[in-house]
Amino acid sequence: MNKTFCALGVALIASVALIGMSGCAKKSVQSGGDSQSTQGMAKGGGDKSGVGSYPDTGVQPGGGLRGLDKNPSEERIGSGTMLAKVNPSGNADRQMDEIRAEQAASAEAGLRDVFFAYDSWAITEEGRQALSRDGEWIKSNPNALLKVEGHCDERGTSAYNLVLGEKRAKAVRNYLVELGVGANRLSVVSYGKERPSCTEHAESCYQQNRRGHLAVKVGK
Amino acid sequence: MTRIKLISAWFGGILLLAGAVGILESGAADVFLEVTRSDFQKISLGIAGIQNGGGPDWLGGRIEEVLKKDVKRSLVFDLVDLPSLGITTSDMGNGTGTGSKALFKQVAEKGVSVLVWGKAVMKEAQKDADVNMEGFVYDSGSDEVVGGKRYAGSPSVVRLMAHRFVDELVFRYTGEPGIARTKIAYVAQQGSARELFVMDYDGYDARQLTADGFLNLMPQWSPDRRFLVFTAYRDRNTQNIDMIELATGKRWTLISLGGLNITPSLSPDGNFLAFASSHEGNSELYRLDTRTKAIQRLTVNPSGDLSPSWSPNGRELVFVSDRGGGPQLFLMGSDGTNVRRLTFDGDYNAAPAWSPRGNWIAYVCRTHREYKLCVITPDGQKRMQLTTGPGVDDSPSWSPDGRHLVFSSTVDGKSHIYMIDADGKDIERLTFQGTHNSAPSWSPAS
Repeated sequence: MNKTFCALGVALIASVALIGMSGCAKKSVQSGGDSQSTQGMAKGGGDKSGVGSYPDTGVQPGGGLRGLDKNPSEERIGSGTMLAKVNPSGNADRQMDEIRAEQAASAEAGLRDVFFAYDSWAITEEGRQALSRDGEWIKSNPNALLKVEGHCDERGTSAYNLVLGEKRAKAVRNYLVELGVGANRLSVVSYGKERPSCTEHAESCYQQNRRGHLAVKVGK
Repeated sequence: MTRIKLISAWFGGILLLAGAVGILESGAADVFLEVTRSDFQKISLGIAGIQNGGGPDWLGGRIEEVLKKDVKRSLVFDLVDLPSLGITTSDMGNGTGTGSKALFKQVAEKGVSVLVWGKAVMKEAQKDADVNMEGFVYDSGSDEVVGGKRYAGSPSVVRLMAHRFVDELVFRYTGEPGIARTKIAYVAQQGSARELFVMDYDGYDARQLTADGFLNLMPQWSPDRRFLVFTAYRDRNTQNIDMIELATGKRWTLISLGGLNITPSLSPDGNFLAFASSHEGNSELYRLDTRTKAIQRLTVNPSGDLSPSWSPNGRELVFVSDRGGGPQLFLMGSDGTNVRRLTFDGDYNAAPAWSPRGNWIAYVCRTHREYKLCVITPDGQKRMQLTTGPGVDDSPSWSPDGRHLVFSSTVDGKSHIYMIDADGKDIERLTFQGTHNSAPSWSPAS
């Protein structure tokens, strides 16, 4: 008795909630949902550039459960209902070649890394000395374009370390600009903690990973 | 049980009663929380074996093993060990024989609510082997065989058959679709690169999705499970937000504004993509209307704002900001209004994930220089630390039923992926291969 009453009450509230939700959650009405026309960026639609096309991701009801049956008929279970086979298409090899060329060019230039304290993006005195030497090289090689990479140690979240890495890279770039390097020659990218130079869980390794790295750009 | 069944029975009729929208969220939580509440009585369930009806010796045992693990992970059922109750089982066919009747009586007397059994056969078809699986369910409350399922497929889908059967059980007893067929997207180290992978929710059947040879980070699912959005460094020097269709592998760039473009998160209705970008200076939050392609800036602040996560009704976002110094969680309306700080404990709180029931927000909290999982209620009133010990825990992501979290941790040395109950119990390691697995994202239920 009590139970039934309770269930009725709960159901009432729940159904009101459902109505409320359906009222505010607009149904996803997409024109097309065309994921073919997606090479590059589709600039139409908004007045912002840098936005690609977007398919229909409206939730399809169903889910495929058919319930238990006293006389069940056979359900065929398919494999690979999702997940196309990945096609490496030589991308990884090309990347490796480019990374090696970049590393070789940077090593030849003798550019020094800048190291940071835990949770910090302030350039230390030691960092300033390294950067003044790096700055000399950059100024005497006026055709070189450089990428300033910001890196972090493994502590902290992946996401916040990407922000921290950007702060470090920008601190390095800003200091080089102060030294007279043209800002247009320096691009900035954060790799957070995703490209560590070592992986031990020790301060000696963390120190090496909290760095701003200057890479000489190769190719385009 | 009774309550849940009654609720679903009443649903249709009561939808007519509109009005009184004011109380909706707390009311909805009451219903959905039914099986996550600590006083929820799990339904006792025994598995009386999956008989081998022909084929390799491992077949029935393999299915039974997957069934047992799925049943345990459902947190809906309490898996009972029948032999320890003195109940011995044999081949019961479809449950109509006299032997079955005697067994049912025993099961009911021992207080077991649900009995499951079945049979599996593998036969050599012309080209490929074919597996047939049958499963049946006896309910001691109603004293009847309530039904069963028959599945057919190749040997490669044997685990999927078991997953599907358990989802049917969960559906039968809760009205929810279950999580046994869900997937987890994540990032795995491949050489010096980090690529996207997807695996089954129990860590099996990992498949590689990208092969760029550089970095792909922090995948998140679309609400329909067909796409992932993620941060990609295609040319190594710039960061974009890309989208990939799982069935076809088709991939394209969604956001390429310059600067950081990270932590994409699709609204529950798929109509908005919230993300962080530094293209106007420092990292700020933006919202892309996926229908009009218009981008709206949500935060204006000289500090870093990132990691938006949607409330299940799509009206609010929880996010990370270091506007007070270290990173802390903040809440705001999904249009950027009404910003308020949520976390005050400790000097590092990040990577929030709003639970699908709306009642908790999981995040990474720093205590004693270790990065652990915490949960907090959206009103900030209750807070719990879920994990302890050494290592960096990161990227919590909720199961669609809100009863589990998946996360990465370096607790065993290298970064691997783990599952944990929402109350901090029963940690299960899911990945064992490779040198680095991170950024797990749990798919919606199908």
